[in-house]
Amino acid sequence: MRNPDRTAVFNPVSSRRSFLKNTLWMGAVATGSGSFIIPPAWGQSNPIKVGIATDLTGPIGFAGNANANVAKMVVADINAKGGILGRSLQLFVEDTASNESVAVNNVRKLIQRDRVDVVFGGITSSMRNAIKDVIVTRGKTLYIYPQLYEGQECTPFIYCTGPTPAQQCDDFIPWLIKNGGKRFALPSANYVWPKLLNKYARKVIEGNGGEVVFEEYYPLDQIEYSATVNKIMTGNVNVVFNTVIPPGVGPFVKQLYEAGFTKKGGRLSCVYYDENTLNINAAHEFEGLASCLDYFRAIDDPFSAQLAAEYEKRYPGTVLFTAGSAATGMYRGLKLWEVAVKKAKKVDRETVAGALDSARIDQGPGGPAEMVPGKRHCKMNMYIAVAKNGKYEVVGRSKGLVDPKEC
Amino acid sequence: MGVRYVSRGRGAREALEGITSIAFDLLSFSAIIVLVVMGLGIIASMMGIFNFAHGEFLLLGAYTVYLTSALGYPVWLGMLLAPLAVALVGFLLERGVIRFFYTDPVVAMLGTYAIGLVIRESVRGLIGGLYLSVPEPLVGSFSLGAIAVSKWRGMIILVTAAVMTGAWLLLTRTRLGLQIRAALENPALARASGLSTTRIYALTFTGGAALAGLAGGLVVPIFSMFADLGVRFLIQSFLAVLLGGVGTFEGPALGAAVIGVLSAGLPWVTSPVLADVLVFVIAIVIVKFRPGGLLSRGRS
Repeated sequence: MRNPDRTAVFNPVSSRRSFLKNTLWMGAVATGSGSFIIPPAWGQSNPIKVGIATDLTGPIGFAGNANANVAKMVVADINAKGGILGRSLQLFVEDTASNESVAVNNVRKLIQRDRVDVVFGGITSSMRNAIKDVIVTRGKTLYIYPQLYEGQECTPFIYCTGPTPAQQCDDFIPWLIKNGGKRFALPSANYVWPKLLNKYARKVIEGNGGEVVFEEYYPLDQIEYSATVNKIMTGNVNVVFNTVIPPGVGPFVKQLYEAGFTKKGGRLSCVYYDENTLNINAAHEFEGLASCLDYFRAIDDPFSAQLAAEYEKRYPGTVLFTAGSAATGMYRGLKLWEVAVKKAKKVDRETVAGALDSARIDQGPGGPAEMVPGKRHCKMNMYIAVAKNGKYEVVGRSKGLVDPKEC
Repeated sequence: MGVRYVSRGRGAREALEGITSIAFDLLSFSAIIVLVVMGLGIIASMMGIFNFAHGEFLLLGAYTVYLTSALGYPVWLGMLLAPLAVALVGFLLERGVIRFFYTDPVVAMLGTYAIGLVIRESVRGLIGGLYLSVPEPLVGSFSLGAIAVSKWRGMIILVTAAVMTGAWLLLTRTRLGLQIRAALENPALARASGLSTTRIYALTFTGGAALAGLAGGLVVPIFSMFADLGVRFLIQSFLAVLLGGVGTFEGPALGAAVIGVLSAGLPWVTSPVLADVLVFVIAIVIVKFRPGGLLSRGRS
């Protein structure tokens, strides 16, 4: 279908096609600034094309914009140092709009129109599942997924650079038992991430002598939690391992505080809590909340601090560089891919994937990272942080890189 | 829980505390829903228009409080400003847009839906799509026996009761209330009797908007500030109005109380995901047998 005009002559659907052609600009207007291309700064006839598909608009736009910012920053940096294999990088950014059907169309543009060499992006698991087929199966393109997630993504040519349940639970749950107690409650939003994370967490809780008092799932937009809070208070729960997400998490944490859960020695924990979620509740309401991620702004690592400062200088404002929004996974993914392409000396999918399979970077947010050969998941440092007066204090760091235990 | 090991006296006290706790939670959430529904109910009952922008009026009230607080002014000031600000928006919209739709309720619904969408997405842009905490004027909780009761939720129960009484007195005991009801009952006759229905409709819509603004301002400290705050409430409010029946003041309020009790109470006895659906199922079953609303028999 290289020349649609010629086929149109004898094609009965030609009027529809010309209608589509004539109305395509409306789509462009509707998507607005959603998609944009950043050409390399210096003349290059044959750039390496990097596709970013992330949620620039919609409810999780704050996270998507952080991802796009990181990509722009890293690509600009690589180009400033001469590109890869003597070729510059050209960035193609498409909006997945927190909406899977919009996303599939936009990602198709990256693959079919722009013919990118690699795609980074997707934040939610439902988004990854919606676009992975377009990228990997039909698109025959390499896909790097940056977000912390529930694990079990073992499709060939998909590389995951965010933390898995093992990385978020193996050190953290024993810490919670020691610094909270043995009786866990697992209040959760009703979708795939909490379900699979809880399944893993329960194993670790029980394996360490703890017990799960209840595991319960709520509609994603539920904002009233009195029954849950009551169950926690009357069930003598020591640790709340929360996977309720916004908007529910704000009222839930407030009700839990008002019922006196933390005052009576209870430990609240939530493994997606990063710097973005600090404003959902007043500081006193989540005092003592513990989280476990691959990076916090407060960690003691010179390179991470330098990276964060560089980001904040380029993108001041409310779009933060955080772990929970996949910004750290995006950085890690881009740099690991850079290493892989340099090693492969080519950009075709198979060769790059082969090199990426054991790629390693010495510096990144939170420290070094390396791919586990054959597993397409990434080893990284993990940190435990506790909220004090509305900020995180890092209280624990993994001994070396933690295994993702996937695939 | 330890009930098995303790004496009967303590068991009875624990049971009592449990019941008090549940009762307060149900009352508190019902009060919130009643407060939220009142504005929608008044506009629907007195003007025959379903205001699909109601949730976003609530959002605007919430945003006013958030903004006041973010600018460093006291939260209660924002709560006083919220109904005024939203009343102004409501008034301008009624004069500018909605009054052209009175003859066609379906178009009015779509129109108000569009207005709501514009407001919601504007607010989303203004707050950067984030979830932001808003402090309450009364922080913390007080103890009622062994249970802790949120001060602010207690306050909302009182405010709801006061606003309900006020609105009810206004509609049933004052000259203005009589005019509003007359304009609803028979607009042509009302006009023939020298009443300006235009003015009355503008006033009613503005009043309904003000109530939405007040509700938004009062509940935002509980639910935090985010762009979709109004959406969930809008759906529950519609269900409440449907359940209570249009055409009276008490109907929607009663419907709201039922919805509040069901939404907060069902998760105690069944799984929350199921409870969410059950609220709708129960409401639809009731509407099936009482199509005119809960109070229909008494009125007809």
